[in-house]
Amino acid sequence: MKLLKYTFALLACAILTNCSTDNDDNEENLSGQSGDLILKFDNSVGDQDFIFGTTYSKSNSETFQLSNLKYIISNVRVTDNEGNTFYYPEEENVFIVSESNGNNAGEIYVTLNDVDAANYTQITFGIGIDQDRFALGADGQGDFLELASEEGMMWSWASGYKFVRFDGTFSTPSVTDEPLNVHMGSVGTSLDNYKEVTLNFPNTVLVREDSSPEVHIVADISKVFDGVMTANFADGYDQVHTDATETPIIATNIQSMFEVHHIHND
Amino acid sequence: MKKVTLLIVAIVTVFSCSEPSEIATYEPVILDVQVPSNFPDIVYNLDNNQVTEAGFELGKDLFYEGKLSSNNAIACAFCHEQAFAFTHHGHNLSHGVNGGVGFRNAQPIQNLAYQTSFMWDGAASHLDLQPIIPLTSEVEMGETLSNVISKLEADSYYQEQFARAFEGGEVNTENMLKALSQFMIMMVSSNSKYDKYVRNEDNITFTQLESDGLNTFQNKCATCHATDLFTDQSFRNNGLSINPQLNDLGRYDILENTEDLYKFKVPSLRNVEVTYPYMHDGRFATLEVVLDFYDSAVVDNGNVDDELLRADGSYGITLSDYEKESLIAFLQTLTDYEFLEDERFAEF
Repeated sequence: MKLLKYTFALLACAILTNCSTDNDDNEENLSGQSGDLILKFDNSVGDQDFIFGTTYSKSNSETFQLSNLKYIISNVRVTDNEGNTFYYPEEENVFIVSESNGNNAGEIYVTLNDVDAANYTQITFGIGIDQDRFALGADGQGDFLELASEEGMMWSWASGYKFVRFDGTFSTPSVTDEPLNVHMGSVGTSLDNYKEVTLNFPNTVLVREDSSPEVHIVADISKVFDGVMTANFADGYDQVHTDATETPIIATNIQSMFEVHHIHND
Repeated sequence: MKKVTLLIVAIVTVFSCSEPSEIATYEPVILDVQVPSNFPDIVYNLDNNQVTEAGFELGKDLFYEGKLSSNNAIACAFCHEQAFAFTHHGHNLSHGVNGGVGFRNAQPIQNLAYQTSFMWDGAASHLDLQPIIPLTSEVEMGETLSNVISKLEADSYYQEQFARAFEGGEVNTENMLKALSQFMIMMVSSNSKYDKYVRNEDNITFTQLESDGLNTFQNKCATCHATDLFTDQSFRNNGLSINPQLNDLGRYDILENTEDLYKFKVPSLRNVEVTYPYMHDGRFATLEVVLDFYDSAVVDNGNVDDELLRADGSYGITLSDYEKESLIAFLQTLTDYEFLEDERFAEF
């Protein structure tokens, strides 16, 4: 019984000692620490929040409404104020951002676990699946293939990913409520539509063991059709699948739709 | 105190006991992937999916497993029968779950580790991902990946086989697809009479007819049916008349590129004697009809391959009766009985 008491005492000492050393080091040295970083994707159309079934206007007197809005984000990495880049582990570094998984505010959370503690100033991510990852086949995909298939993010007639999926209806001055389906992706090695985007944070993102900052990313869906280039439904952009001319235009437009709106450090 | 000690001992015992109860463990026995000396380089990246004995066996189980389909009855092997180089014997188009009928003729499964693309239109560019197409197609196996995984997860046999085949042993899509690839990677057909002849093995010689056939083949067919895989792996329009009922646009469906209209992947000719019927829609029942087609029935559907353009402006490959007879004799030397009867790939 005495032995037990001593053991407890020793344990208590050990814990106390541990804690105090940690506190001392906390001021500058972040090595060995890690925390969560939360990316909040928030789809919008210009200055409006994106809502399913709501009609939005675009250029060329055309309108659209969507019932399905999803895209794949991968290869997320963040760069700190010293220029070091933290790559999220490759195997887990692929996500489906689906509007239907959003909270009441229409925000879709992507949580990155165990990110190295640092002061981050920049984020880079890809839209879709890059050629290297695709070339791995099933290797390292875990359940993602299953997830993508369930979410309708794989072609059913070919083995490849849909990087973005917008389904709904559109109207032009000459037609009303025609089907709108934009399913843009790569096709094997023949057509590569993977694109990356790098965004600066408006203020430093402080990832710590005990704080999980949130990065609020706004994705302006209107840019998909009125972005770097204009994509009019009347010109065939109502049905985008694997066309080698149309899909790179959609991919380029999507690359320009993301913006870091604000940061929450807590 | 004694009670506490006993409890601790009990807990320790319980935990240590639970480990040996899992009999199936991952102890990989690497299988050699055959690379025949007359073949081009292997395409499949084995570094990402090394073939093991247990992985191969699991892949074979899955290949013959009806649970991969929505009615639990249509296995891969349903349309890919070994005796016919893993094609669907006697079917120009195959049928799947719920009476569905496919659009194209089932292709042989052989030497796939050497292929750069899969399916008649190249819809799959990685062997691991190819099985997703038939598995989820409504007219083939009509399943979803997650449902297949749930069925396999609930099966103690598969729990054990996945544990043997993969580190971590998780029953998931990644491991299922890897196992299927491992099985298919091993399916190498390279021991036909032709192979032994070109490799100078077993004192195999060609008859005069076979030699003449080989000669004609090299002069008139080998541009497209190139290398000892007998395909240059390109997509070509060989001038078949359009079947309005199917209106199969071929490779066009993949990239929506009008240059790809009616193009299909040049098929390998290995085991061609047993893989009838022929062409993407199985319209020709015999090799004689195929050769007659090339000689005199190619139609200009607007995008026919230049290789088939004759001096007089028509399309086709002119063949005399003797050339046809000898070509067929040569093509029959591509039948690989060792492969067709290989027990490693057989269901029972």
